[in-house]
Amino acid sequence: MGKGAHVKGWRGLAVGAAAVAVAVAGCGTSTNDSGGNSGEAKTLTVWLMDGSAPETLTNALNKEFQDSHSGVTVNYEVQKWTGIQEKLTTALASNNPPDVIELGNTQTAKFAADETLLDLSGDVSNLNGDQWLGGLKDSLTWNGKQYGMPFYAANRTVVYRTDLFQAAGIEPPKSRDEWVAAIEKLKTANAADPEFQSLYLPGQSWYALLSFIWDEGGDVAKAQGSAWAGALNTPEAKAGLDFYKKLVDTSGTKAPKDVDEATPQQFEVFAKGKVGMMIALPWELGSAVKADPTLKDKTAAFPIPSKTAGKTAPVFLGGSNLAIPGGSKNQDLAKEYLKLLSSAKYQDQLAEAGAVPGTSKDTAKLATSPLGKALAASAPTGKVTPTTPTWAAVEAGQNPLKDMLTAYLTGAKSLDQATSDANTALSKTLGG
Amino acid sequence: MTAVHTTDAGVPTNKSAPRRAAPGGAPRRRGSSFDRLLPYLLLAPAFAAILWLIGWPVLSLLVTSFRKLNLKELTRGEVVWVGLDNYTEILGNPDFWIITARTVIFTVAVVGLSVLSGLLIALLMRQVSPVVRIVLQVTMLLAWAMPLIAATTVYQWIFDQQYGILNKTLVKLGFDGFAGYSWFSTGTSTLAVIGLLVVWQAVPFLAFSLYAGAIGIPRDQYEAAAIDGASPWQTFRSVTWPELRPLVMMLTFLSMLWDFKVFTQIWAFRKGGPDGASTTLPVLQYLEGISKSHFGVAAAVSVVMMVLLGVLTFQYLRRLIKQEGTL
Repeated sequence: MGKGAHVKGWRGLAVGAAAVAVAVAGCGTSTNDSGGNSGEAKTLTVWLMDGSAPETLTNALNKEFQDSHSGVTVNYEVQKWTGIQEKLTTALASNNPPDVIELGNTQTAKFAADETLLDLSGDVSNLNGDQWLGGLKDSLTWNGKQYGMPFYAANRTVVYRTDLFQAAGIEPPKSRDEWVAAIEKLKTANAADPEFQSLYLPGQSWYALLSFIWDEGGDVAKAQGSAWAGALNTPEAKAGLDFYKKLVDTSGTKAPKDVDEATPQQFEVFAKGKVGMMIALPWELGSAVKADPTLKDKTAAFPIPSKTAGKTAPVFLGGSNLAIPGGSKNQDLAKEYLKLLSSAKYQDQLAEAGAVPGTSKDTAKLATSPLGKALAASAPTGKVTPTTPTWAAVEAGQNPLKDMLTAYLTGAKSLDQATSDANTALSKTLGG
Repeated sequence: MTAVHTTDAGVPTNKSAPRRAAPGGAPRRRGSSFDRLLPYLLLAPAFAAILWLIGWPVLSLLVTSFRKLNLKELTRGEVVWVGLDNYTEILGNPDFWIITARTVIFTVAVVGLSVLSGLLIALLMRQVSPVVRIVLQVTMLLAWAMPLIAATTVYQWIFDQQYGILNKTLVKLGFDGFAGYSWFSTGTSTLAVIGLLVVWQAVPFLAFSLYAGAIGIPRDQYEAAAIDGASPWQTFRSVTWPELRPLVMMLTFLSMLWDFKVFTQIWAFRKGGPDGASTTLPVLQYLEGISKSHFGVAAAVSVVMMVLLGVLTFQYLRRLIKQEGTL
């Protein structure tokens, strides 16, 4: 009996231990290979992202490529941004990765540093290298080598309501002071409507904050040799943060202080018609117009103004690079695909669709709309976030810049406290 | 409950088994080696399946925790052994201990609150009229059926700083301080809101299970207690509790496993923020594994979590052993 009980007891323990093990193993990471078709004939698998290139462009591009390369089929797939880092990780680890991938410019360094991408340094001249957009080129350069080709960029501008500006007698501002004055004037002119917001600015719109910090001559992080350390506790960064608060205070924006521009989508708020301005990307204006078509003739944009009158503030160049995975079986074909895409014909189509083209300095096609003009005016001085593999973790994980903004704007922390806390957290993440 | 029932059911079969075996006493010895082996042979397929489904992932997790496995090693299929480096990295990080303590406190608080609420609702359900009980059950079923992310979104809006119904209601009630109050400005308050959501989601299952246990208690025991003049509290202590205790124990054990690993809600709310102050171990695991692509380190976090869960549920495991031993 005693022995039997002992055995039973151990069985019970084993059951319990197994339950514990299952419970935790469930949240462990497991990776499964999921590749495309195996290499019969020639199939070039191209992954582009949702909303990056217009369908007319990709259709024409794929057709031309297939026509000029007999026996080659382009397997074109559109991927969603949400969860793309996980999906790419899995795909790159597989035996049969895609042949051309699109990477967010802030993610590129991570994939390059982990040696998952093909070194394209030798092909730069072949791919219109002298026309590359500076900001994007920086984002795909790691240790002096190029691991991709710029695709397109988009930057933030201040989208505004022309009808409301006219009614209040305001001209698009040329400096930061004029901008603040315009916000105040617009607010006074519409004071009768308690729901009106002259500027919609959520508390964690950190890409906008980057502009203000860069305009002050500061940066979020500085390279020290090969390592990066936060630079948020510098006077320039503090001044940038202070200007952000000034915008929030002056406009009296009703936007939540603890979320970014995606919750709720700021274009939805703008489309309701009670907002005078928003700091937005081109697609956000597009979506607002889709929600309320009457906005099409009532909206325009101006570049984010600098504190130096007549200049524009450096903007964050959001955008994408194209890269070839190191494990691709059709690397030469993939290079030819990139070469075709880098040609003026397709770059013009990108510009026409409202994006800053990655491999062409010709922005004539872009500057045909008011928004395009504002984009084209600020793109050349555009900057990117620190080019370090650890930056991707800042955006994919807990972003200290967002915490800093919320803490300062809600008064939870003083300016010095907020910046120094965020700086410590940022340095730690960048340190790996 | 299940534990008690299986053993109850097991007793008669055990009694009948020798009775059936008795008439054929002679051939018993001859076929004994096959007879003795047969149950194990029958169990073998199931055992192999379990070993493959459960044992392999756990083993692979353990092995991974001793490897350096970043994106580079993963894509190139390199195997780099680093011994205990991953463990020294996480255990040497002072934040790790804060996160661990936070996770344990969160788990204990959420489990305690949800089991207690479940128990109270189960006892309440026994007392109310059938109509009220059905309304209560349907309501709980709906809450239970709600998808995690949908429920999280609803809670985010309830507690929203500007548009949240909670702040608006509080202001209407005269608490002007709650106008524009941010419920997510500190880790404690963020975790409190998340904890409330987790409890809300856990209570229906607990209440239903405990109610099922409670209606299984024979009525005459209560009648006897009433005749003896027992107060409601005495009745609960001497009649209800002893019957429900094994069930409560098991549910607590299960809740601990579930609540310790809560990730979706925490990530959906504030990604473990502000300033990482609502980061728990599962969130840390995600940050290391998915955000930073340090899969080896994340595996080490998993192993530590497994050990911790073992320690947390040790009492239950011990009693499980004791209970089975006495039966």
